[in-house]
Amino acid sequence: MTTRPLVVATQETTSDVKFDKTMEDRIADVLRRYPTTRAALLPVLWLCQERFGWISPGVISAVAERLGESAAFVEGVVSFYTMYYTSPPARYVLQVCTTLSCSVCGGRELVDHLTAKLGIGFGEKTPDGSFQLVGVQCLGACGNAPVIQINDDYYEDLTPKKLDAVLDDLKGRR
Amino acid sequence: MPKLTIDGHEVEVAARTNLIEAARAAGVFIPYFCYHPYLTVVGQCRICMVEIQGQPRLALGCATPATDGLVVKVETSARAKEAREAVMEFLLANHPLDCPVCDQAGECLLQDHSMREQRDTFTTHMAETRRTFPGYERRLLGPHIVQNQNRCIHCSRCIRFTQEISETAALTYKSRGNSEFIDTFDGRAFDDPMSACAADVCPVGALTVREFRFRKRAWKLSSTPSICPGCSIGCNIFIDHHEREVHRFTPRENPAINATWLCDYGRFLADSLNEQTYLYPQRRAAGHMVRAEWGEAIAALALELRAARPLRVVASANLSNEELFLARELFGRHLRGELAVPLAAGEQRRMRNGKGEWLHAADPYPNSLGARRLGLNVVDGEGLSRFLYGGAGLTLILDAEAHPFLAGAEALQLLRVGATAVWMRCEHPLAGVAGWLLPAASLASDEGTFTSSTGVVQRFAAAFSPPGTVHRMPTGAMSPECPTIASPWGPPGEARPLWLVLTALARELGAPNLDLASPAEVFTLMAQTDRAFAGLEWEALGGLKLDESFRERQHVG
Repeated sequence: MTTRPLVVATQETTSDVKFDKTMEDRIADVLRRYPTTRAALLPVLWLCQERFGWISPGVISAVAERLGESAAFVEGVVSFYTMYYTSPPARYVLQVCTTLSCSVCGGRELVDHLTAKLGIGFGEKTPDGSFQLVGVQCLGACGNAPVIQINDDYYEDLTPKKLDAVLDDLKGRR
Repeated sequence: MPKLTIDGHEVEVAARTNLIEAARAAGVFIPYFCYHPYLTVVGQCRICMVEIQGQPRLALGCATPATDGLVVKVETSARAKEAREAVMEFLLANHPLDCPVCDQAGECLLQDHSMREQRDTFTTHMAETRRTFPGYERRLLGPHIVQNQNRCIHCSRCIRFTQEISETAALTYKSRGNSEFIDTFDGRAFDDPMSACAADVCPVGALTVREFRFRKRAWKLSSTPSICPGCSIGCNIFIDHHEREVHRFTPRENPAINATWLCDYGRFLADSLNEQTYLYPQRRAAGHMVRAEWGEAIAALALELRAARPLRVVASANLSNEELFLARELFGRHLRGELAVPLAAGEQRRMRNGKGEWLHAADPYPNSLGARRLGLNVVDGEGLSRFLYGGAGLTLILDAEAHPFLAGAEALQLLRVGATAVWMRCEHPLAGVAGWLLPAASLASDEGTFTSSTGVVQRFAAAFSPPGTVHRMPTGAMSPECPTIASPWGPPGEARPLWLVLTALARELGAPNLDLASPAEVFTLMAQTDRAFAGLEWEALGGLKLDESFRERQHVG
């Protein structure tokens, strides 16, 4: 599996955001598929997160202007959903399932292992910016518990040993 | 016109009226927190639940339109009462018990409802500790608004206000569920031009007005219906005052002009009403100002007026219609003097009426249209300078704040040539040239009417009698034999409203038809002689019925 690292745009790009041609095209494409511009807010924010790595106040302003909403409203929406990052994420975001099935099938051990190995708790990043640990609710893959979603990819049937191999692989891939 | 029964009272209301308003008309009170008559209905707080006969589920008073034959139970329904109690249990689970130190106490919808409907034996099964928002208990949200998120009951009135009325959409909910809170985008200052209305609509003490915080308990205030003096739109206000001190302006409902809103500029003029620099009539003698009695001043001024050749009178669009009328009749017709009303352009102001239309005003006077309709000579700064360029004679300036030109060196130069009598309240350069300096009372102790920019003649009442008096004897009150008793409260001195001085002057000048006892009488005379006021009756003016309590509606606004 080749999980691609998240790329966070530079400080300058995220503070004063201007959408380029590609982004404008993609936004226009999204807008075509929704009845109102407000309805397209979530997918447009998602596009922005893909492009800039996280939803900065600058991104919020730009989205609000593009969709004709107030910046405060857009920020309210962003703060409602946990999957929009409101601070720059690490290159690999380890989203450990903490719901029942995974927990009883070894998810807790995975969390303990990660905390000990990386020296971080939930919501924290490693100092080198490689990994970020996030506890999430059911990922819908209980049949292959325990599960960790790393960026956009699922890693299933994990044990601490398998997880070590995955992390070493990702870390080496810098 | 649907006809329905609410708690046994039959009532007929306009189509599409909701149950809360229908019940209000029937004299039944349905409690509400998130509902506001000028904002969209969201049905968020769930406290307005009522039982409708024949319907298995309880209905929301705010979101249910009145329909024909509906039988609604509010107080008489045990189910609805139980449901409302359950809502209160959830609201109070997280609401701090800080009413004694909360500035909203006394005008808080939550407190009112709790006092009205809560059982004394109220208990809760909830074991969790109160939710708090550390760091958000005393936060300055904007220049005029202090936020205490712990008290918020998540009614979204403030958010809807900024989205639908002021259109800045500056406020929003952030986060979700139990940790949801009110904030601006990226922590920016909430500097909406009508920001204090967000605190008005806040049913609890989550948003309070910084300027008014801890100045006065709400129940100590008396509210006098008045008109905002800030611009020509003429927003309806209450002057909230206690012991002859004005503490704040709050909006008074008028669907045609300001619904239940007021701009920050107008609202914070309230403090300026307490200023009173000049306390007594003064006369210049050998270059110094000497205190004089009112009776003496009026007698001397009448003599000077009779002899004045020419007589120039600078009136002002800050004066009421009655005062302008008296000035026109007395100085213009009776004494054959020249009158001018100077108007200056001011900052653009706007206000949203009950239909959602914006009203605009470009001039900073509450009565510029009134001056025009009275047929007075309206001039600009240049015209005023020409008007004053008359050389000798007597110039009366009825309001030192009539035009910024009057504070300039050029005006002072022009006025030094002849004699000058000036009415003023606050520090003003004209004091340096005035031969007679007469203290004017503020809007709070004046009474009369203003004509709004949309042409509505609106009445304002006197909040308290002028400083230095505890009683007012209308006709002859300015004469030396009438004693005045100093009031222990409020500003000292003997400032008088202009209408009182003008009627006293009329008496002295031999114009008995203008020696009237009250602005009401002046208005009646004016309605007889002036076409602009024909058919208007003082008592029925501008929805201002003094016997009607606006308190309840004010809560809403």
